[in-house]
Amino acid sequence: MRRKSVSTIWGVWLLTAAMVCPQILAQDNKVQGNKPAPVPMKLNVGDVAPDFKLNYFDGSDLKEVSLSQYRGKSNVVLAFYIFAFTGG
Amino acid sequence: MKAFQQNLKQLEAADTQVLGVSMDSPFANKAFADQIGVTFPLLSDWGGDVTRQYGIYVDKYKAARRVNFLIGKDGKILEEQIDRDAIDPKKIVDACERKKVNR
Repeated sequence: MRRKSVSTIWGVWLLTAAMVCPQILAQDNKVQGNKPAPVPMKLNVGDVAPDFKLNYFDGSDLKEVSLSQYRGKSNVVLAFYIFAFTGG
Repeated sequence: MKAFQQNLKQLEAADTQVLGVSMDSPFANKAFADQIGVTFPLLSDWGGDVTRQYGIYVDKYKAARRVNFLIGKDGKILEEQIDRDAIDPKKIVDACERKKVNR
């Protein structure tokens, strides 16, 4: 009698697990999807881009460039990339 | 970077200056620019201060995330492309073209 009720409890537990597990897995897949979950950006569209001064080497001299030098004159694309000599 | 170079004429025609930024040294960036035929400046954020200021420093790689910002003449951010989306600059080129038409 006792053994029977234990196996019934196991049976119910397994059934529940079988029903719930695929849902959990499905949710997990939904979150992960093909793209990694987006990390929130500190700066968003509409924010003022912080000014900076950075150098580049033009072949003979180091040249300084600031973001503010383009203010009122032209748009600027700032293309951050991970390392030199990598793709993209 | 190459993708921006391919679209450089269009971007320049839409009053847009392209600036690459990475945490490499100026000399490494110059060598990189020469190798891939990039004619716009590749700026060197040696130490990563600007990368941190823009909130895209990745501690794990000790480098920047791949992000394109389009900044308008008023200094405000008009478009952002992040990580994988940032490889193809079409969205930014299109945004520049739209601005040109609307002006």
